[in-house]
Amino acid sequence: MFKSHLQGLGQRTLLALILASPLSQAADLTDAQTIVSQANVASYYRGEDGRSEARMLIRDAQGREQVRQFTILRRDREDGGDQDFLVAFSRPADVRNTVFMVAKHTRSEDDRWLYLPGLDLVKRISAGDKRTSFVGSHYFYEDVSGRNLNEDTHQLAETTAEHYVIDAAPKDPASVEFKSYRVWIDKQTLLPMTIEYKDSADQLYRKVEVLKVEDVSGFPTVTKSRVSDLRSGGTTTMQFRFIKYDLGMEEAVFTERSLRQPPREWLRRPKS
Amino acid sequence: MKWQPYAIAGLLLLPGVSLAEDDWGDDSWGDDQTETSTALQGFYELAAGTRLQTDPALDENLTLAEARARLEYDRYFGDTRFSAKVDLLADGVEHGLHGDLREAMVSFKATDQLDLRLGQQVLTWGTGDLLFLNDLFAKDWVSFFSGREDSYLKAPSASLKASYYGWDGADLDLVWTPKFTHDRFIDGERFSYFSPMAGANVAAPEGHFVPQEPDTALENGELAARLSGKRGSTEWALYGYQGFWKRPVSMNPQGQGVFDRLSVLGASVRGNVANGIGHAELAWYEGEDGAGNNPLQANDQLKALVGYEQELVADLTMGLQYYLEWTQDYAALSRADGGSPYRPDEYRQVATLRLSYRLLQNNLTLNWFSFWSPTDEDFYLRPSVHYRLDDAWSVTAGANVFGGKDTHTFFGQFEDATNVYARLRYSF
Repeated sequence: MFKSHLQGLGQRTLLALILASPLSQAADLTDAQTIVSQANVASYYRGEDGRSEARMLIRDAQGREQVRQFTILRRDREDGGDQDFLVAFSRPADVRNTVFMVAKHTRSEDDRWLYLPGLDLVKRISAGDKRTSFVGSHYFYEDVSGRNLNEDTHQLAETTAEHYVIDAAPKDPASVEFKSYRVWIDKQTLLPMTIEYKDSADQLYRKVEVLKVEDVSGFPTVTKSRVSDLRSGGTTTMQFRFIKYDLGMEEAVFTERSLRQPPREWLRRPKS
Repeated sequence: MKWQPYAIAGLLLLPGVSLAEDDWGDDSWGDDQTETSTALQGFYELAAGTRLQTDPALDENLTLAEARARLEYDRYFGDTRFSAKVDLLADGVEHGLHGDLREAMVSFKATDQLDLRLGQQVLTWGTGDLLFLNDLFAKDWVSFFSGREDSYLKAPSASLKASYYGWDGADLDLVWTPKFTHDRFIDGERFSYFSPMAGANVAAPEGHFVPQEPDTALENGELAARLSGKRGSTEWALYGYQGFWKRPVSMNPQGQGVFDRLSVLGASVRGNVANGIGHAELAWYEGEDGAGNNPLQANDQLKALVGYEQELVADLTMGLQYYLEWTQDYAALSRADGGSPYRPDEYRQVATLRLSYRLLQNNLTLNWFSFWSPTDEDFYLRPSVHYRLDDAWSVTAGANVFGGKDTHTFFGQFEDATNVYARLRYSF
């Protein structure tokens, strides 16, 4: 198994090199659906699995700051499809050792659980609105785990020297707070670099920006981003560090066992 | 301009001043994930609560008056985790300085398939929201009624928990609590309770309820088991328990409260229903009075629960539950108890409603929880407001409102315990 895992890693690294090589730039992509599908995989499905530590700096319009820090484990069941996430919080003090688990489904509602250590309680949470604050930050749940591509229509508005510019609109406008959004996708990495959301009055009110991309095991990876709530003036900056891909996590990592006894094997910070 | 380098150096030396664009307070990412972490964490809390009326059985109007320090420590030794949580509190209601060891345990993977947790710990399972059928781990009703944080509803016990994950499709948990750990029940110290013998509420000192505890012996321990699994998105579980009623619901011939032996068998399911989460749970309580002839002993009971939770609009969640407690051999009980006016209903029913609304970027939470019994005609309302001023400071205010038609029913007896409270907490 270890051997095939290594082979898999090699193939993907090779694939990433090919994708990033000048050859692949020869012809621009022209189909909006293909672009957003590839961008989705580039943002949320790198490798078969991954671990990362993240911290958020939440700043309101008055300059008051709060911090969140957590470790995310992810395992893909299918590229572009279902995924499992485990999020273990270490800061602030009132959420320390709280664990959040999501089974993300692209064809049905997600399953979500929360482990509250003070009560030793595994709480099942109803799927609910994914465009609500993720742990008090300006990021939405959906920004962290990815928005289902089937929820929106996509059109290629423009292809510049560096970006594919995609205009998107919700199929069910009543289900979201935006009327439309525009995404600038980097042509080389296929990572969405900027997303601008407009409300029903066509006013720009929300912006998500990638501030830093680094190469991790051959995968271009977002290591710093920011979301700005232009109405309230609040922002949240998120940093990722200690990122590892293709660790060989098993499906069993994403079960109640891990909620009650967090999987140290994967959560502990890698030595290199 | 000779001073300039010094000024900059001075600025760099100032603690907490960062020249980086984004200031996370430090740049270390914390060291809680590393081997050598020895950080002490916890909180300080001031809490006060008072009755909204007087209780004729008690002189004290305060229901909560305490300064609490919680210290938490956890550390890995190799792959074995040691964790401890200790509360120290100065209590102005039950006067004195108290310590409460909430946790002191080691947890580790004994094998790839077996997790062990040994020591003082809080334990929870089952699907109910503040209603417990198959969860017979110790509760603290005094904390719950007085407005301490929800997590204090669970009392710790010295237990050994083994969880086996080696089978396909089902996991097994076994919990052994060698020394029977009963609930911290309402005993007349902080709140009065209804005494059928007095026909009224009584309280400490004369009415201090001191039951006879089972002897400390190997056969007087508690054993709880759960077999659980998941099919698709639906979770199922089977439960078993062997021990004692967690509250002294029976009496010996001398009129002293006792803990009868109890066995419980049960089952639960939880899964996606419509746009929310549905759950159902059943439990069969088998006590010592199988025929129901002894009015001093609790009869067998069948308990059933159904519930549903859904997010109504963004950040507003509603939960509904319906609970039935069916006392068995009711005819025998009716014949034997001499026509007691305090006999509980054969089919006691309780409906609960939870509303939870998060506002202001999740910093403000409005909570409503209510128990209402159409059969006992009584209720218990728990509104509360929680506000996080920042990552360290938070305030909570709320009320515990009891009432009912009769003075002897489950919630009705606590009418004079109705209180409001506030808590200020600094977490570190």
